[in-house]
Amino acid sequence: MISKREIKAFLAKHPAFDDISVSQQAVSKQPSAMLAETRKVVAYARKFNEEVVRPYALTLDMTMQENPAHLPWEFVKKANDWGLYTLWIPKLFGGKGFNFPSICAFLEEIGSECLAMANLIGVHYLGFAVGCSSWNVRLIKQLCADTLQGEQSGEPALISLALTEPGAGTDVEETELMDKGSVSCHAKKVDGGYIVNGTKVFISNGHLSRWHMLIAYADLGKPSSSTVMLAVETGTKGFSFGRMEKKMGQKGCPASELMFDNCFIPDENVLFDAEQGKKLKRGLSETNMQIIDFYFAASRAGVGAFGVGAARGAYREALNYAMTSELNGRPLIDHEWVQCLLAEMYKNMALGRFAYLEANYATGMHGMYKLLQQKQMYYLTKLTPKFVIDKTILPLLDKPWVTALMRKAYFDMQSEREIDITSGLASLAKFSGTDAGIRNCHLALELMGQSGLRHDRRAEKIMRDAKLLQIYEGTNQLNRLNLFKCLIASGTPDVKMFGRQ
Amino acid sequence: MIAGLNKELNMLEKAATEFSRKILFPEREANDTFPFGPFFDSTVEKAYSVDFFHTSIPEEAGGMGQGTPALSVILEALSAEDSSLAGILFTVSAAVDILAQTGNMDDLKALTAVKTPKDMFIACPVFCNPLDITDLPQAKKTADGLSLSGSLEYLTLGGLAKKALIPALVAGESGFSYVLADLEHPTVTRSAPILSLGLRACPSVDVTFNQSPCRLVGEERKGETYFTAMSDRMHVAAAAMSLGVMKGSFKEAFEYARKRKQGGREIIRWSELKMMLSNMAIHVKVADMLVAQACSAMESAAPDRAMAARAAALHVQSLATELTTDGVQAMGGVGYMKDFGQEKRFRDAKQLQALLGASPVKRLRYIDSL
Ligand SMILES: Cc1cc2nc3c(=O)[nH]c(=O)nc-3n(C[C@H](O)[C@H](O)[C@H](O)COP(=O)(O)OP(=O)(O)OC[C@H]3O[C@@H](n4cnc5c(N)ncnc54)[C@H](O)[C@@H]3O)c2cc1C
Repeated sequence: MISKREIKAFLAKHPAFDDISVSQQAVSKQPSAMLAETRKVVAYARKFNEEVVRPYALTLDMTMQENPAHLPWEFVKKANDWGLYTLWIPKLFGGKGFNFPSICAFLEEIGSECLAMANLIGVHYLGFAVGCSSWNVRLIKQLCADTLQGEQSGEPALISLALTEPGAGTDVEETELMDKGSVSCHAKKVDGGYIVNGTKVFISNGHLSRWHMLIAYADLGKPSSSTVMLAVETGTKGFSFGRMEKKMGQKGCPASELMFDNCFIPDENVLFDAEQGKKLKRGLSETNMQIIDFYFAASRAGVGAFGVGAARGAYREALNYAMTSELNGRPLIDHEWVQCLLAEMYKNMALGRFAYLEANYATGMHGMYKLLQQKQMYYLTKLTPKFVIDKTILPLLDKPWVTALMRKAYFDMQSEREIDITSGLASLAKFSGTDAGIRNCHLALELMGQSGLRHDRRAEKIMRDAKLLQIYEGTNQLNRLNLFKCLIASGTPDVKMFGRQ
Repeated sequence: MIAGLNKELNMLEKAATEFSRKILFPEREANDTFPFGPFFDSTVEKAYSVDFFHTSIPEEAGGMGQGTPALSVILEALSAEDSSLAGILFTVSAAVDILAQTGNMDDLKALTAVKTPKDMFIACPVFCNPLDITDLPQAKKTADGLSLSGSLEYLTLGGLAKKALIPALVAGESGFSYVLADLEHPTVTRSAPILSLGLRACPSVDVTFNQSPCRLVGEERKGETYFTAMSDRMHVAAAAMSLGVMKGSFKEAFEYARKRKQGGREIIRWSELKMMLSNMAIHVKVADMLVAQACSAMESAAPDRAMAARAAALHVQSLATELTTDGVQAMGGVGYMKDFGQEKRFRDAKQLQALLGASPVKRLRYIDSL
């Protein structure tokens, strides 16, 4: 019928079959117990929603409108008490070790009730993912230990990502743009560490976090190949918080300004820099892009899940409204146009979900989640008692050779295609899910008329909250460009991107 | 573009634009903090002193007797910066329209004889079509007149006005009527101002009447006729407000995109963003033409003016919600912050889409009336 060579050639044609069949390839490879684990996570999220999120969502939003300087410690402490900041810390590092893709299912659940609260939890894992993407195992271990300790002591120890600068938002998410733009957060190498000067803006959970994954640059003229990733602890001399932004929505989650004034960060807190990068296969600029792709491949799927949460929240409110209202003497829900409208909303939500699931399958096969989702590793970590891990594995994690090994496995052994597929699908998930969120909010508010406009009926809050999703973690425009770069342009090598001549 | 219809409208536009820039713009963020911050009384007083509130009141009642196009010119210009004041003027004008239809000159004269601008406020449920409310308040005939009982949600200006024009069912009859109720009467309970998506300084409340005295306005059971006639005119004004918001949003985004640099060039020079801005500019132009055309149909008393007004409103309101979503997007993170007008315009555009009823229901009614 068709020869092996032909099969190979036809399947490689654009769109490559491997790109469009990720979940089908991944399902048999990943441990089947992950599903049961995800069920547990979703049930736990629903319980948390019922007991904590839904009863408090409107009150927190209202409190923030009344007093924009309020810091929502009361919620963060609750989430900490429920163990939510360690659920996805791997068992190897002492956490509860739930599989990483299940965080998206969790964030969709929480996001469907309150995106600000979902962000108050999710951003901690964004920070964690950035730490992990350096594969500096010793520091990752320390971040995990602090979070665990924060859980035990009741004093939450969150992690934030400090990337965006006043003059560079889109630019710092793409190395090609970075070098043309004007970044300004400078890290100067001195004896024993770096001295940092500059400002970061819009940092979610900034004021609430213990650790900040700070991205600075040793050479402001060539940031892509001089990126310095630092773990900065709140309270460090020369580091202070500036203003908290007054936002349209997601009011419960602060967006902070972080200021660095001759702030000394010791070598032991350097997650990654050019010196360490030199040991790797790729050039510094390529490695820097690989790091960005590592963390955004994970976190953009998460933002896609937020978007699906918004789409679902809007759908839920619209459905409730349709079930409890009448038009022309008949229940609204009995009208054919309403049924089709709800079906459309359901579709938006479902397609957004498929997109983030697909992205996670890719990250499981080719990206950050790969190691822990390999069957042997997964069951080993799952079944090994904690005291054995504490005794045998934890002490090893401080050894430089472990970091070197992990970097070899993750940086050097990841192919360009693997980077492309994980990063491209994550961008797809990000803009599909978040566009679906906004679309459903529009539809819900239209259906609900004046009822949709009121704070006490929730839909308007979902809309205000959802708009942010199209902006952060790269605007949806940048994510479209990234999809193009990763999934389209990679097959057409002559294409010029980002204004390159 | 509406202002191009005649000289008088042109002058009105200039005055309203100046008011918008000089009075509304500087206080926009502060005014939007209501109900947590104070109500913008001084702004309302200034609007009163330049006769914005008198625009649609008939001349014989002491007003300026200007038609919907004049009102639309003002509302559009104001909404470019902040639509809350325009929302108040819209609400009062809707009530005035209904009172004028019923020939109720005494109430209208009373409006122009007031001492403070707030006394000109008449509360009216403008974010719905009363036909879509399943449990309207009931008015019972008593020896002294009518007594009103029941609840009404989202009565715009209900917390600030002394009087309200309420759609009610006169007991035992089908088809609603309008009654004028005294909101300060002890039998009337008003909720705290409802925190809404947009137009926060044009607040609404829920209200409950418990055998509250009220007076019939116009004929019994003719509420639908009055509402339809009012909305046929006021749809143009509603469209003009959305148009104003669109113009404001586009202008802000366009100016920002020419200054903000990413990737070493002004962001407007990235063709993806340029495309977004181009689409916004096209939407603004199309909306401008539509509203002007609807106003012109109204000026010339064209036979299809009502349908023109409704179609224009539905289309422009929908464009405005799309455009303001992009208006925020074009500015990235700062578009989401309160320091700029974009996030407010995004909220206001969505709020304005619900004027005179839920958008899909208005669409269905459109074809019903063909
Ligand atoms: C509430 C909030 C929370 C946030 N949380 C965090 C956080 O925790 N950590 C963090 O580091 N950052 C955070 N951010 C920052 C966020 O990631 C940026 O806002 C986002 O990347 C966009 O950058 P910008 O705001 O500078 O917009 P800009 O980059 O200035 O973009 C403005 C517009 O220009 C367009 N544009 C720019 N460059 C191009 C191009 N090359 N081609 C086409 N179009 C282009 C954009 O798409 C956008 O429409 C947060 C932002 C907000 C608003």
